[in-house]
Amino acid sequence: METIAKLFYRNVKQFADKQAIWCDGEEMTYAELGTFVSRYANYLISRGVRRGDIIGIPMNNSIESVALIMAAAAIGAGLAPINPTIPVDAIDAAFQAGNVRHLIARRAFYNQIQGKDLPYLNGCKLCLDGAIEGADSFEQVLAQPDTEPDIRCIDGTETLVLTMTSGSTGTPKPLELTQDNKLNRAEAHIRLYSITADDRILAATPLYHTLAERLVILPLLIGATSILLPRFTPNMWLNCVKDQRVTFTIAVSAQLSQIAQLLSSPFVPEISSLRSVVSSSALLEPHVRNELIQKLQCDFHEMYGTSECSTVTSINFREAVDKQRSVGKPLPGVELRILADDGTEVNPGDTGEIAVKTPLLCAGYYGMPEMMKEALVDGFFRTGDLGYVDKDGYLYFSGRKKELIITGGVNVYPQDVERVVSALPEVSECAAFPYSDERLGEVVALAVVCKKGLTLKKRAVQVHCAKNLADFQQPHKIFFLSELPKNSMGKLTKSKLPEMVAGMDG
Amino acid sequence: MVKQMVKQMVEDYILEALQREYSFKPGVDVYAIDFIKEGYMNSLAIVQFVVELEDEFGIEFTDDELASPDFKVVGKLIKLVEKKAAKD
Repeated sequence: METIAKLFYRNVKQFADKQAIWCDGEEMTYAELGTFVSRYANYLISRGVRRGDIIGIPMNNSIESVALIMAAAAIGAGLAPINPTIPVDAIDAAFQAGNVRHLIARRAFYNQIQGKDLPYLNGCKLCLDGAIEGADSFEQVLAQPDTEPDIRCIDGTETLVLTMTSGSTGTPKPLELTQDNKLNRAEAHIRLYSITADDRILAATPLYHTLAERLVILPLLIGATSILLPRFTPNMWLNCVKDQRVTFTIAVSAQLSQIAQLLSSPFVPEISSLRSVVSSSALLEPHVRNELIQKLQCDFHEMYGTSECSTVTSINFREAVDKQRSVGKPLPGVELRILADDGTEVNPGDTGEIAVKTPLLCAGYYGMPEMMKEALVDGFFRTGDLGYVDKDGYLYFSGRKKELIITGGVNVYPQDVERVVSALPEVSECAAFPYSDERLGEVVALAVVCKKGLTLKKRAVQVHCAKNLADFQQPHKIFFLSELPKNSMGKLTKSKLPEMVAGMDG
Repeated sequence: MVKQMVKQMVEDYILEALQREYSFKPGVDVYAIDFIKEGYMNSLAIVQFVVELEDEFGIEFTDDELASPDFKVVGKLIKLVEKKAAKD
């Protein structure tokens, strides 16, 4: 039986001198990365990190982060990667939901949590950039022996990554991905896009998202080269693709829209190395897609998926020219059902909730086994997305049933924003909703109703949000209304909000 | 003396905020960095950053200041905030 660590260490031997990874001007061969991963694994073991333990990490894109993922896989530990810009209180809640005991972070984070009561962090503490009292420095990792850890007891059932999503009450809902989940997902994408050891695969989204994790793990399983962009700007992306001769990547559609815009200007580097680009997160406008196909001169795929299910459908636009608005056909082994509200299947061609049966389904919500059971109907995961399937079996995405704002490819749960804004004493009620944005697809908009006789300045809301929400959760538009739209039962009808605020200055 | 303290506070605050996710590479001229162009802050984060700066130093940026390319250059932004904080 194969595991991530077995495959990786096999490649360390087979491709010892080959470039394994590049990030921000630094690179390592497979032999060097193998040594680094072993030292990291030995460090974790020496500090009492055991199989099944969860390590919290405000993660950024670096070779160290990738080495940590492989080291965790080698010792059977799990990671709870988190966006470092999230306010400490939210990180605290996420770490508690993920049963985090160990912490690996930069100095800035240790300074941020100074004085906070986080008693559950009683295991290993490592500072990635310099010295901090009470934490090991990275020199201690590098001083460890480079002997391969004993990976025989790893069987693939171990939790490798907890991805934080948000529950309806705003409580973190960690999505659990085991080593087998990650391996199966990587293998499915290797088959789907015919990826080989010759590929140079770019990850350009943050590593605390499952997409980038997949893109960095995948090449290391087959002896290919992982190219990791430290931060994204369209210029950095294009230069990296050119200089690092990237052959394959999956990007979120908001990134690709910005790249397409840049490609239409005269002074851009010519790109000739790409053989395939995949767009994820939201459907691209056909003119943007055509611009990309023409300028990047490569195959162009789009996909539909969710964090729980991974990729569900895929489409190659060179092969399916008459299906420009579709998100494609299901991957091999994946079944689709379109459900009515009562859970029965709708008539062929009708719109309903997309439900998916897939071997790539995550292991569940960590510590919340009931919650996954509730989301499944007859083994099909209810995605909360709406769509229909045409007579040829192609899926079309029509919208979202669940409350979610996707801004620049990042999920924002409206209830997280609403909970924070509701804490303002002047606020009677509020609603966060998606607002169309050409560049980012959607941005967060906020409708606020003040209590009778009280007023609130937009600025006060902005300051409160700046202090209590992460950067991607900030409302870009704030509208003050006398009431929120509700149906006859008194239930909030958010779908009416964009219409209500049209023409208003947010 | 007070002026010097404000200067240091502004500089420390801005450099820390910009490195929340990624540290500047050692050896680079930090003050010359265009933090948007070089991806240290994305367009989602800038909304929060502006509000935090205004709140922390009791200042308010004009639309022209926010639209100026200088606003995105570390050294020039530090100078702008210092100047505004000293005035208010």
